[in-house]
Amino acid sequence: MEIEVTVNGVVRGVEVRPHETLLALLRDRLGLRGAKNGCSEGECGACTVLLDGAPIDACIYPAAACAGRSVTTVEGLAPPDGELTALQRAFVDSGAVQCGFCTPGLLMTLHALLAERAAPSEAEVRRAIVGNICRCTGYAHVVDAVAQAVGARR
Amino acid sequence: MMAPVAEFRSACSTEEAVTWLAELGADGCVLAGGTDVMMQYARHELGPAAFVHIEGIEELAGVGRDGVVRIGALVTHRRLAEDAALRTSNPALADAAATVGGWQTQSVGTLGGNLCNGSPAADSAPPLLVADATVELQSRAGIRRVPLEEFFLGRRRVDRRPEELLTAVEVEPLGSRQAEVYLKVGRRGAMVVAVVGLAARLSFDARGAIAAARVALCSAAPTPLRVRSVEQALVGLDAALPGWQDATSPSLRDGIDALMHAVSPIGDLRSSEAYRRAVLPGLLARAIEICRARAGVGVPEG
Ligand SMILES: Cc1cc2nc3c(=O)[nH]c(=O)nc-3n(C[C@H](O)[C@H](O)[C@H](O)COP(=O)(O)OP(=O)(O)OC[C@H]3O[C@@H](n4cnc5c(N)ncnc54)[C@H](O)[C@@H]3O)c2cc1C
Repeated sequence: MEIEVTVNGVVRGVEVRPHETLLALLRDRLGLRGAKNGCSEGECGACTVLLDGAPIDACIYPAAACAGRSVTTVEGLAPPDGELTALQRAFVDSGAVQCGFCTPGLLMTLHALLAERAAPSEAEVRRAIVGNICRCTGYAHVVDAVAQAVGARR
Repeated sequence: MMAPVAEFRSACSTEEAVTWLAELGADGCVLAGGTDVMMQYARHELGPAAFVHIEGIEELAGVGRDGVVRIGALVTHRRLAEDAALRTSNPALADAAATVGGWQTQSVGTLGGNLCNGSPAADSAPPLLVADATVELQSRAGIRRVPLEEFFLGRRRVDRRPEELLTAVEVEPLGSRQAEVYLKVGRRGAMVVAVVGLAARLSFDARGAIAAARVALCSAAPTPLRVRSVEQALVGLDAALPGWQDATSPSLRDGIDALMHAVSPIGDLRSSEAYRRAVLPGLLARAIEICRARAGVGVPEG
């Protein structure tokens, strides 16, 4: 079936199969490989993207259900001129990126958090990312990065 | 290998969805947030001919108040956890919703999906049971209202016909001098299916003793269940008396005995049967303590 979905601000017409996941559509057919396929079961959060602004696991969400809606992936965070967002900059600067596999997912969830709360507490940050597994940083650098990004925005 | 799903239909209204469900019969599969359906599909546990996608049906996404609180089937766990009015009227439901998976699960996972999936571990079930919930099911033949307690028939079996759509759940809001809580035991603090879950809604008398109780569980039997024998045993318990938590108070001891008789937990990869039994008494005592604190009874005034 043919659907129209806005991906990173651009309306795309795509043919999707009824059982196809949003992650398969993004990675295999739209060439957006930022969202990662980790567990394929909604447990690890490496595939997190925003659907109408809300973080979801793209690996278990049907592509066909995105018709008429708006999807943002990590590729859509920085504007076309390549300037990183304050949060992306802070991830780089504070060592929150180690192996990098979880990074796109964490960025998406945390961008959603910062869109809701200008200055989340550490507890709020940790609660927001319970569905994003990181095996390198122990989350400390990630929490630091959010604090740094919040400070930079002030 | 099952045949891939041939069709994906997105319904714009309840009317349209129930028309399609009637036409498709057992070949149709309702798809809300898909957090259960998509995984079951990937694991080849289901292979419908068509998905009937319902997330676009606006009339199922609202919350209404008219004595009872009417929660649309499409209300997400995120909304249940964050909505200030719902947190006031049905705090245990908010407690439960906040424990479902992660934010990503809560963004799309719905109340209707949690109930229709029929898992013995459904976190929303115990808080709804203690709020005397009724589910509303709609088909082309009309509307059927079923008390939630009767909706759960067995492990993964609910009283919903293939042509029916769950449209809403009606619950009692908390009354005065009442408090409620949902407590979930899991292997970590988040992203886990309940080892056991317990909801309690307690009414206190002017002195602070329990005047009426409702207690419900998940992951303790083939279906979520209300434990009326426990409820009866707790009436009269005065948690202001010293030592009541140590099961020295007759009512608590009776409540715990009733609890142990009512449950039939299994051992599985998440927990042993023995552990499930072992945590339940403490959970009941903690629920009473939290309800007392939330109701503000036994707290010195001033
Ligand atoms: C990573 C992860 C973690 C999870 N953690 C938890 C947890 O901690 N606690 C918990 O309880 N659950 C958990 N779940 C399960 C799931 O998220 C919930 O059960 C959720 O509420 C299901 O809602 P949904 O909208 O996604 O349902 P769907 O997957 O769309 O549907 C579930 C079932 O209900 C049927 N259905 C859905 N809506 C209706 C309706 N309105 N009328 C008739 N039938 C309907 C579908 O046909 C299907 O059989 C988890 C799932 C994942 C992937």
